[in-house]
Amino acid sequence: MGATENPSRERILERIRAAVQSPAPRQPAAAPDGRAIFSPVGDALERFQSECAANLTECLVTSDNTASAATIEGVLASLPPGELFVQDAPELRRMARAWQAGRGMRWSSEGGPGEASQATLTLAEVLVAATGSILVSASCGGRGASVVAPCHIVLARLEQLVPDLETAMARVYERGTAFRNSFMGLITGSSRTADIEKLLVIGAHGPRRLVVVVQRADE
Amino acid sequence: MTTPAAQEFLRRAAEKSADLTHRQIIRRGIEHYDAAFHRGQARFLNWEAARQQCHEIKWEGVNHLDRYLLEFEKRVKERGGHVFWAADAEEARNYVASLAARHGVRRVVKSKSMVTEEIHLSPALEKMGIEVFETDLGEFIVQLRNEPPYHIVTPAMHLTRVQIAALFREKLGDVAGDDPPELVATARRALRRAFFSAEMGITGANFLVADAGLIAITTNEGNARLCVSLPRIHVAVTGIEKVIPRLQDLAVLWPTLATSGTGQAITTYNTLVGGPRRPGEPDGPEEFHVVLLDNGRSELLADVEQRDVLYCIRCGACLNACPVFRNVGGHTYGTTYQGPIGSVLTPHLRGLAEFEHLSYASSLCGACTSVCPVKIELHHHLLHTRRNAVRAGTRPFGERLAFRAWRWAMLGAGRFELFGRVARALLRAAYALGLEGSVLDPMRPWTRNRAAPPIPRASFRELWRKANGRN
Repeated sequence: MGATENPSRERILERIRAAVQSPAPRQPAAAPDGRAIFSPVGDALERFQSECAANLTECLVTSDNTASAATIEGVLASLPPGELFVQDAPELRRMARAWQAGRGMRWSSEGGPGEASQATLTLAEVLVAATGSILVSASCGGRGASVVAPCHIVLARLEQLVPDLETAMARVYERGTAFRNSFMGLITGSSRTADIEKLLVIGAHGPRRLVVVVQRADE
Repeated sequence: MTTPAAQEFLRRAAEKSADLTHRQIIRRGIEHYDAAFHRGQARFLNWEAARQQCHEIKWEGVNHLDRYLLEFEKRVKERGGHVFWAADAEEARNYVASLAARHGVRRVVKSKSMVTEEIHLSPALEKMGIEVFETDLGEFIVQLRNEPPYHIVTPAMHLTRVQIAALFREKLGDVAGDDPPELVATARRALRRAFFSAEMGITGANFLVADAGLIAITTNEGNARLCVSLPRIHVAVTGIEKVIPRLQDLAVLWPTLATSGTGQAITTYNTLVGGPRRPGEPDGPEEFHVVLLDNGRSELLADVEQRDVLYCIRCGACLNACPVFRNVGGHTYGTTYQGPIGSVLTPHLRGLAEFEHLSYASSLCGACTSVCPVKIELHHHLLHTRRNAVRAGTRPFGERLAFRAWRWAMLGAGRFELFGRVARALLRAAYALGLEGSVLDPMRPWTRNRAAPPIPRASFRELWRKANGRN
């Protein structure tokens, strides 16, 4: 694959450069403000839980590895039979030993999830309290892992929870997550649409069900 | 207003504003939006500060467009992506078409992108025998109806569930009722086959992030997520003005776009893509292409007065707020971008002479400007467009002559008084003969659909003189 041929590139850039020679005025702020745009986040976990409840994410808080394994097993038991796609991470491998018997498993090291996957289980990069969001990257089982199956289960640790989007974006930029991965996704709630008469319907193309297990201690 | 586009606008506007069912559907949709928008706005501690910051971010990006585009391009290339600069619609179409031909693409899944509508990409691909699936539900519906999108955010807002159910029964065949969840499930089944078999995914981009070399795509359904995950090739077609300086900027742009667009606190899926699948990643496309479209944007950039039109983040808030849009609807405009932003933008993209009439599809009330999350001076620009059209000499000779005469009559107090007296007398006489609203009535554009106000005996000036004893 050679470099893309770009016959118009220079011409467009020249036109842009000539145009921005004359600066456009910036609109003055309507009021002198301290720039606080969003309400401050108090207790991050409490806020995360209430935002999750509002955006229809199931948020389950656990104390340690064993409790998380049991909680996830409970969620899996409530799902219809079918393949489970799991991010190939050591902690998920360990947990999976307990449940492997009942259900077909596919690991992210073997490729992306298939059309038939009933659920996916992955880790996350960051959780955002202010919006009840989960930030994943390609390292969390790839791109399809968080969107292909009807149910997406996320296992995260409490220390991954940050107060707001600004902190989340700074973290993925400064820690290099934004550069190591070809993809990142901020997920807030389950897939939805209001394209028919502006009525909300859950479960358009992505998961109908989004479950996040927030673990307080261990790994 | 003599161009075919202007005549067509007037014809459709008259038809749509008389269609009460249509008006009811739109009103209900916009009432839903208004309620959600106000709830969303109330979640902000300081909505005005959010608008100001979004304005400043876009100001920075657009006023240093060369620098940020080059930074974006460099980082995308470092990740193994391709960046193509297209001067016009044809170059952009040809690039995507030849890419599709080179890879033997037979099926394309598309997520919502107004830029691909602007360049008429789908018809070009279909002409090559490629199947193109719009995967946003609203877009999928209007595609099945062979219609352009009605609204930049909610493309099928002019249709009821009954109409959509009938459409699905006719085109897809497996719909029993008209419950929205059932209709959504039907579309999901139809599109899922396409997602897993398409070789190419085409998306737009809401933002191009310069410092991280990522494109940002916002959807609620997850369809863009599938478009960038499953097919072998991902092409993002976007305008050059979408670039923003920093990844951090999204912390305010995402919530503000969501609130202005749908009233949500934040959209469900905010996706960032910077290149093809990397070694070690389980999935993702082998090739990633970004098409940066100019198509008149650099000329608009050179217009310092209207440059801020390029700050637009396509949230649709100005359409929803516009009293004209609410009555004439989206298809009346006959443009890719409807409502106030479309009326300002289209003359730049497709010609002032052909589209200046859209600047009159406004009462200049300023509702659009007051809701714009990036503070574009929309209603001022509508007036600027009218002025530019007059200066460019695109207005008809008769109108120019009439304004000359008006100006002359206005500039002399005696003349003005005399003409006023004569006009009142003539109108009174005409209306006494029952000519009100007829073709002989000079006030017909107003009186055709409305009763004329009673014509006063005395002018304001005469009343003033009588009351105050002086001029």
